[in-house]
Amino acid sequence: MTMNTNPLADMAFMRAFLDTVIPPGRDGRMPGAGTLGLEGGISTAVESDARSGSLVRAGLAALAEAAASTGEAGGFPALDPAHRAKVLDDVLAEHPMLVNAVARHLYLAYYQHPTVLVAIGEPARPPFPEGFTVEPTDPELLAKLVSRQK
Amino acid sequence: MANEPVGVLIIGAGASGAAFAWSIADTGASVLCLEQGPWMHQKDYPTNFMDWETRAMGPFATNPNVRGLAQDYPVNDSESPIQPLMFNAVGGSTILWAAHFPRFTPGDFRVKTDDGVADDWPISYETLEPFYAVNDRMMGVSGLAGDPAYPPHQPPLPPLPLGETGNIVARGFERLGWHWWPSDSAITSTEYNGRAPCINLGSCGSGCSQGAKASTDITYWPVAERKGVQLRTNCRVKEITVRPDGMADGVLYYDADGVLQEQKAEIVVLACNGIGTPRLLLNSKSTRYPDGLANSSGLVGKNLMHHPYALIRGIFDEPLHGRAGPGGCTFWSHQFYKTDPSHGFVRGYSYEGTRGMGPATTALWGMATGKVPWGEGHHVAFDRLNGHTAGMVGITEDLPDEANTVTLDPELTDSNGIPAPKVTYTLSENSRKQLAHAVERGTEALLAAGAIETYSEPLIKTAGWHLMGTARMGTDPKRSVVNEWGRAHDVKNLFIIDGSIFVTSAGVNPTSTIQALALYIADRIKQNMRNLFD
Repeated sequence: MTMNTNPLADMAFMRAFLDTVIPPGRDGRMPGAGTLGLEGGISTAVESDARSGSLVRAGLAALAEAAASTGEAGGFPALDPAHRAKVLDDVLAEHPMLVNAVARHLYLAYYQHPTVLVAIGEPARPPFPEGFTVEPTDPELLAKLVSRQK
Repeated sequence: MANEPVGVLIIGAGASGAAFAWSIADTGASVLCLEQGPWMHQKDYPTNFMDWETRAMGPFATNPNVRGLAQDYPVNDSESPIQPLMFNAVGGSTILWAAHFPRFTPGDFRVKTDDGVADDWPISYETLEPFYAVNDRMMGVSGLAGDPAYPPHQPPLPPLPLGETGNIVARGFERLGWHWWPSDSAITSTEYNGRAPCINLGSCGSGCSQGAKASTDITYWPVAERKGVQLRTNCRVKEITVRPDGMADGVLYYDADGVLQEQKAEIVVLACNGIGTPRLLLNSKSTRYPDGLANSSGLVGKNLMHHPYALIRGIFDEPLHGRAGPGGCTFWSHQFYKTDPSHGFVRGYSYEGTRGMGPATTALWGMATGKVPWGEGHHVAFDRLNGHTAGMVGITEDLPDEANTVTLDPELTDSNGIPAPKVTYTLSENSRKQLAHAVERGTEALLAAGAIETYSEPLIKTAGWHLMGTARMGTDPKRSVVNEWGRAHDVKNLFIIDGSIFVTSAGVNPTSTIQALALYIADRIKQNMRNLFD
């Protein structure tokens, strides 16, 4: 990616960025956010975010520039995960809202993705119509209440 | 364009308008309700979709300024630490409410007598008791009879299960010897009047796809319409018109096509909530009423009360599965409800137990509080929170203050060009002390319950659900807007039935009392038909 490119339009860059914000879990249970095909939706959401879209664009551009300055020809996506995290952490000093502004969209997308829901032990379906089971009131608590009934 | 005149014209189809319409239909009068929003459909609610948490924050957001739907009007809340919340549709804010359904206590109606502050209500708990009972049956209330904090009453349905979130926090209250009791909840625990029982979707705050939660579009309105009440949707009232003798003549409203219509009526009833009602009265200026309708006291729009909320949340080692179940309906506590000189404030607050959050909301909350980082530690931190939180909110009694107001914004308008409301509100020192106390003692309860970590917010900004006091009731026309049965002192065929007429706020959710008041006022009108305007 050249520094003149809009990083939000560079899907390889975005996948690497999302995978840095939510990396794969060490035990393999949780997927990285860059592996779920979320990057297009996140880019669109950020682009249309009047509150922080420009902040994110500036922050991502700085991230791309910082990655390029490492000498890695492939830029940010080509860095190893630990190096990506270090570069991003450094960029946050000048762009402190970058991750949070993206995460507002990313966390919604990630934690409603069927693969992620299954990984955290949730069914990959909407709540309705099956609903959920809730544990009954503790009988010991209920007995205490009954003894106090007016 | 003129329409056929009606006997009773109700403005607003929410909690109070629906209850009133159902009751007043018994008179046989022609009854019409104008509602600025549409009918809602359960198939459209967020829990039908995979991205239910996203939808709940967008078109089903509780803040009208966030939703920005055509049926919403903007509220200038730049001078308030609490954002007013509401929903505009048939059912009003009951579409998105939590359905936690406490009544006021008898003492809530006599705070001047008991504590020397604010004013007593001109009516008592005993006056409203039969209407609370009727309303419980119409809404379908689940609960456990016998709470020592209340006069005896029997909810028509058995209580909802506490779930592990409610059980674990209730045990903390037990260990401290504090009062707690399962909530009365306007949610069906069993089949009731054609409504299916709750299946714990966990998203009451964005509409109930199951129809177990009572919103008045599925409780009162179907019955009211069968009784002959007309309901016109997507109709926004611009102003109440007056006759030469000063009585209300009807309204001018914009229909769904934006065409200005005239509707005449013998009686006009306002049910627009504590912001919408004063807004409409202030927008109804005339030569005879230059300061707005029914405003000779100057109190229309004054004495705005919220319930300032504190959030207290615990993180537990145990898995609690808290995203399932009605989020705001586990238990309540009146442990710190009454004035106690040792507290350092007058009046008090209740606790309302809360369950957990959906996964995405958990992650966002974790980010906002710094508990879930990006990067390497993300998953471990998320796992520690997800399904492991439970807690409560403290609902404090806000006392009336004339400086807290709803006025007309000089520039802001809705999509029909009608001036929008501006809220000016300052949190009182008394409320601030109550909130701090609620956080301190709530934290104590959560630690007693076994929380490994606690979190608190001493004032939730996004919790301005309860809008009260801006057209207060009383017997003195100089110190109140409506009399003891909701009739405007200045305009004898104008009634107000929503939270605007509250004299004080109590420290509990108001909807049960709003609806009981609406039923009571309808009953008084029915009883006084012969000399209604004397």
